Amino acid sequence: MERRANIVKLAAADNVAVALSDIAAGEMAVDRAELAVTAREHIPLGHKIALRPIVAEEPIVRFGMPVGLARAAIAKGMLVHVHNVRSQYLDNEVDHYE
Amino acid sequence: MSDGQADLLARIPRLDLSRMRGYPRQDGRKGIRNYLAVGYLVECAHHVARRIAEPFQEQGAQLIGFPGCYPSDYAHRILEAMCTHPNVGAVLLVSLGCEEFRRGDLKETIARSGRPVELMVIQDRGGTRTTIDEGRAFAAAELARLKAAPTVPLSLAELTVGTKCGGSDGLSGITINPAVGHAFDLLIDQGATVMFEETPELIGCEQHMASRAVTPELGAALVAAVAKADAYHRALGHGSFGGGNIKHGLSTVEEKSVGAYAKSGSRPIVGLLKPGDRPRRPGLHLMDTVNDGPVRLGIPNINDTQTVTEMVASGCQLIVFTTGAGSVVGQAIAPIIKGVSNSRVFQRLSDDIDVNGGTIADGQETIQEVGEHILRKIVALASGEQSRSEALGHQEFALAYKTYEPAGPACFPLG
Repeated sequence: MERRANIVKLAAADNVAVALSDIAAGEMAVDRAELAVTAREHIPLGHKIALRPIVAEEPIVRFGMPVGLARAAIAKGMLVHVHNVRSQYLDNEVDHYE
Repeated sequence: MSDGQADLLARIPRLDLSRMRGYPRQDGRKGIRNYLAVGYLVECAHHVARRIAEPFQEQGAQLIGFPGCYPSDYAHRILEAMCTHPNVGAVLLVSLGCEEFRRGDLKETIARSGRPVELMVIQDRGGTRTTIDEGRAFAAAELARLKAAPTVPLSLAELTVGTKCGGSDGLSGITINPAVGHAFDLLIDQGATVMFEETPELIGCEQHMASRAVTPELGAALVAAVAKADAYHRALGHGSFGGGNIKHGLSTVEEKSVGAYAKSGSRPIVGLLKPGDRPRRPGLHLMDTVNDGPVRLGIPNINDTQTVTEMVASGCQLIVFTTGAGSVVGQAIAPIIKGVSNSRVFQRLSDDIDVNGGTIADGQETIQEVGEHILRKIVALASGEQSRSEALGHQEFALAYKTYEPAGPACFPLG
């Protein structure tokens, strides 16, 4: 039976998945296949969750493409966003982050 | 019927191409609408032009214009392209009288295109009230004529379609944008001309785009266009990435780019356009939306509408606009179909949105199925049906100062 997925991993090489609904801290994040990781904090709809431990300066890979570098180590199950990812192009430290 | 068209009809259920109709123009193009464009040539003439158009907006009067008083080759080019656009059947120009716009040249170009055109100079016509009265008399007569104009059959190969995203979120790149890409692939396979845009929102995708270019020279031009956008925005100190994107889950401009890029589908890139350039062949084109030369005149495109305006100036008869946060915009001259990336916003703004891509995230539909919905919607609009933004009376239009050099030979490698 196909389970109800709340994340999607877009390419095999990705180290993050995208939330398809709001995921509460402690909730299991699962895709349509075998992937399962416990969310260690709230992951809002459309935001990214770390699928494995990511070290500082490691590329964040989504859809097989690098979309930024880790500012610091990111533990599995944590939210991956502007607070721990920086752009390799334009500065993304925008002060109105909510 | 072509083999390709028969194959498309066999593969896609509930697709009816038989009702597509176009208004034939002297230059060989066909419009899917037969509008009267009412154009003001400086902000000082805006009010009069708006009052002329207002009573006729549901009958096909479309308000466009340029606010600036100083000369601009770019704005002249865009307004010229708008007034000779396939969706336009007649034009009324409204001038104050002392602005620098070359109104005589514009009127002459429009007349040469075979369209009825009237130029009303407020200072010569006794002011606001008389210009509005005379303008409305012209509009009423022309709209009656436009309504009675004959149409001819229209094929997908005769469509030029652009796509734009505004208020992207973390799901845009995995739901509605790849669905647009699928619809674009289907259109291209039928011989249509399509375009995507916004080089500042493709930063990070330049090498992949180059690999899809039909010649190495075009590939190099695509890379250079993105490098120009990156340099321009660094100098400005403000990229095409902001609070709305971050609030909805995007972390960097390159992540936003990967999602925006999905709208382009998978077919080869055959050309690089500057605003107002007419594609010279069918297939997929990129539009270069950033100024040439040193940083001057401010942010290249002040909002989503100016970018859409530029694609319409390059001949798009309709636009597919995708959003995550929930845009409500429409467009003057070319109707907009709006698609949304998530079901939450679709439910909240369902009156404004034509296609829900959130069903992909919900596991109810595939990217291909939503792409087919978009194609059916394009066909419906080309068959006379109104989009949501059209039905709601949206006619956004924006034009600000920019500067461009003409496109080089590498931009049109196949002639």
